[in-house]
Amino acid sequence: MFDDDELLFSERPEWSDVTPLEQYENLNPLAPIFYTDEYKDATNYLRAIVKSGEKTKRVLELTENIIKQNPAHYSAWQYRYETFITLLFPSSPPKPSKALATNPMVIAELALMDELAVRFLKTYQVWHHRRLLVALTRQPRRELGFIKKSLEADAKNYHTWSYRQWTLAFFGGAGGGGGVAVESSDENDIDFEVGEDLWAGELDFVDAMLAQDIRNNSAWHHRFFVVWGCGVREGELDRERISKRELIFVKQHISFAPNNPSAWNYLRGILRHTSTPFSSVAAFAEPYTSSKESISRDNIVDLDNPRPGEGAELPCSEALEFMADVHEAKTTEEGVNSAVEIWKNLATEHDTMRKKYWEHRIRSAHRSLNTATNAA
Amino acid sequence: MTPRPVATDAFPTATSRAQAETEAVLLKHIAAPDIQQDPVLDKTSHMQFLVRNLVQGFPSRYISQDASQPWLLFWTIQSFSSLQVALDPANKQRVIDKVMKWQHPDGGFGGGPGQAAHLLPTYASVCTLAVVGRSGTGGGWDQIDRAAIYKFFMSLKQNDGSFLVAHHSEVDVRGIYCLLVVATLLDILTPELVEGTAEFIASCQTYEGGFASASHPSYSLGGELLPHGPRPPLGEAHGGYTFCALASWVLLQPYLASIANDSRPKPAINIDSLLRWLVHMQGIDIELGGFKGRTNKLVDGCYSWWCGGAFSLLEALGVGGLQNAVSEEVPIDSGTPEGVWDDVDEGLLNRHALQEYVLSAGQHPAGGLRDKPPKNADAYHTHYCLSGLSSAQHHVFPSKLRRSQVEEAWEATDSHNDAMRKRCFSEILSWTEEEGGSHIIGGQNNRVNATHPVTNLTMTHTEQFVSYFYKQKVPARILRKKPTTSPASAPGPGTKDAPAATTTS
Ligand SMILES: [Zn+2]
Repeated sequence: MFDDDELLFSERPEWSDVTPLEQYENLNPLAPIFYTDEYKDATNYLRAIVKSGEKTKRVLELTENIIKQNPAHYSAWQYRYETFITLLFPSSPPKPSKALATNPMVIAELALMDELAVRFLKTYQVWHHRRLLVALTRQPRRELGFIKKSLEADAKNYHTWSYRQWTLAFFGGAGGGGGVAVESSDENDIDFEVGEDLWAGELDFVDAMLAQDIRNNSAWHHRFFVVWGCGVREGELDRERISKRELIFVKQHISFAPNNPSAWNYLRGILRHTSTPFSSVAAFAEPYTSSKESISRDNIVDLDNPRPGEGAELPCSEALEFMADVHEAKTTEEGVNSAVEIWKNLATEHDTMRKKYWEHRIRSAHRSLNTATNAA
Repeated sequence: MTPRPVATDAFPTATSRAQAETEAVLLKHIAAPDIQQDPVLDKTSHMQFLVRNLVQGFPSRYISQDASQPWLLFWTIQSFSSLQVALDPANKQRVIDKVMKWQHPDGGFGGGPGQAAHLLPTYASVCTLAVVGRSGTGGGWDQIDRAAIYKFFMSLKQNDGSFLVAHHSEVDVRGIYCLLVVATLLDILTPELVEGTAEFIASCQTYEGGFASASHPSYSLGGELLPHGPRPPLGEAHGGYTFCALASWVLLQPYLASIANDSRPKPAINIDSLLRWLVHMQGIDIELGGFKGRTNKLVDGCYSWWCGGAFSLLEALGVGGLQNAVSEEVPIDSGTPEGVWDDVDEGLLNRHALQEYVLSAGQHPAGGLRDKPPKNADAYHTHYCLSGLSSAQHHVFPSKLRRSQVEEAWEATDSHNDAMRKRCFSEILSWTEEEGGSHIIGGQNNRVNATHPVTNLTMTHTEQFVSYFYKQKVPARILRKKPTTSPASAPGPGTKDAPAATTTS
């Protein structure tokens, strides 16, 4: 990780004015970590610096060194950020502006973050530090490209996806209030990239991610975020059209690979979000509950109700569950009986691991029915 | 018969390929049907693993967790508790002394000496002290600076009810869970502290039913929080965040009850979709009934706790468990071969299968527990696999009877917050292990201690700690026969290969 000729901080003349601070003085601690000499050396200097409160350029060098050895060292990140802000705004409170994007210090910091994010994809701090920087420079567009690239390395990385969602929400959420959650706040001059066009490529982006892996739940969640979660965007005002588009999309994706809980969850999500009864999709779901042999294969292409693909393994338990919900929602004895029939099927044959849950559904359906009957 | 694989519909992708690889590995860990022996929890080798970490220390690769020193210690210490082992007084003192090096002068605990205060290590430090500490000089409990912690908490609060995990750091529900546990245990939970927090938690629930790490609030151009603006979750539903959000929701109930009568609209979560999501996280037979953390991801031992442990919490919200069942409704005749399903109190997850996963796949042959084979054991997975196993073995539920007992014993104080404090106290202590409700695969030798579903400490440690900080007496529980305890003697340098254990419960 290090050049052999890289000196310890204790060997560098420019650090000779600092007295390193040991971690545990007068204590032989239980459960010690076996530190490398480089790590012990650098963190001893960090402790000394934090104690003295120094915020100078060499602190950036020190914290970078530590972060590269342990990217989860949140105190090093925190102190680095404070130092960076102090150096960037020596005489005024921090203020976001687009002009910062051409500041050499900012450029160098962002370049370092590009390098570190790829190397330490799974740490909170790399992504959060980026947020702090981008909240200052107000240049979100570059981020979307960067994120796309890092998802190529890890298509389900939680931090990467939530960072993308933060970027979109922060710089172009409904209400347009990008930027208020930063600690510095003089927000009435809106001097930054914001707008609907930041979002313009998002659906294509999701399509591409799902084309790579139709089971990538992070991508499905992102689709929900883009279409439903974040308010209504320009060009999407006709909600009926959007609902229709999304239903066609998800049904088609279910038909490609029916045993995909991500897609069924998305379908349920849309229906609930738009207060659409599940029964409106019953005609689509029903064929997925039959065994494969019993599906008639005519050549009619029905966009509203695409049939299971050739390789589909049926019946599909998500479809069974869905149809049980459709029946239960009828709140009639007949409906509940049909639902119970399916739940029993799931409990004893198609999804035995969740037997207890299906039993629970049976009990609560009976209970609601009784309550309804007694009330009538 | 080989259990069937997860269906791939002749449509392979990266997800289904990773799934198939995992299935192939797990298949080797499914006990052959002709072997009648139940799997054994290898307590001795897990103890050796834990003692080695405690006494000799952690190898260099743990440098990546240098900012999580309180966690390393908490996972280790609490794993001892799960395994019914207590430290001897000398080692307890060494743990206390180490923890106290992490307290920050401005409040809270950091990830190591000289590190900034952070909500996560604050939880791990305080909970470690709950296990090993005591009142009096050097005991830790009286050296916790509660007033400074409260100030630290307030300094992290955001105007949407959420909290930063540390200054200049991110917001997420793990931090909120840690804050609420600590505030509840230490009796520093005030209405001011948690106003708006329940709304924030509720906004993290995704369309799938589980919870995300955080949500993004909407603001007006003038900077005002828009209470009815969209507040999209950041990230998908996730087991760890779901546990933290749900436990936070439970911990916020005393506050929510205290404002029940004012006219503000009340936040709500969708419990049906949450339950549905949780049960779907349990893997099928070929995955040995382990839990996964997200839809279409792989099973992993730590979700035995994050997801498996969440079912107890649901009981506090009226879902599952005998207490929440309507008696005339059970048992019902549902026409199965057995005729009746009468074991309604057994919970809504498959407890049996979850134990199988931890025992068959979660144990590393060289000691310690893990995500899944062929991975190495580590301190984190050892703790959460054991906690998950505990939640699958025991039925710990929020007893209404116990709550009223505790409430009756409350001695009123002149604190203006007395009513809410009383509620916090009685709710956290209402959790009770159901008599005869344990189902332990492999018999009593595999038993681990019951774990408090909210704090993830043992019931006894939670009770002693809370009682001390609220300065209230806890009425005696009707105890079952306890295993006899022998004088303390525990892992120390001289006993590392054969730690003599004190049985605790
Ligand atoms: Zn794990």
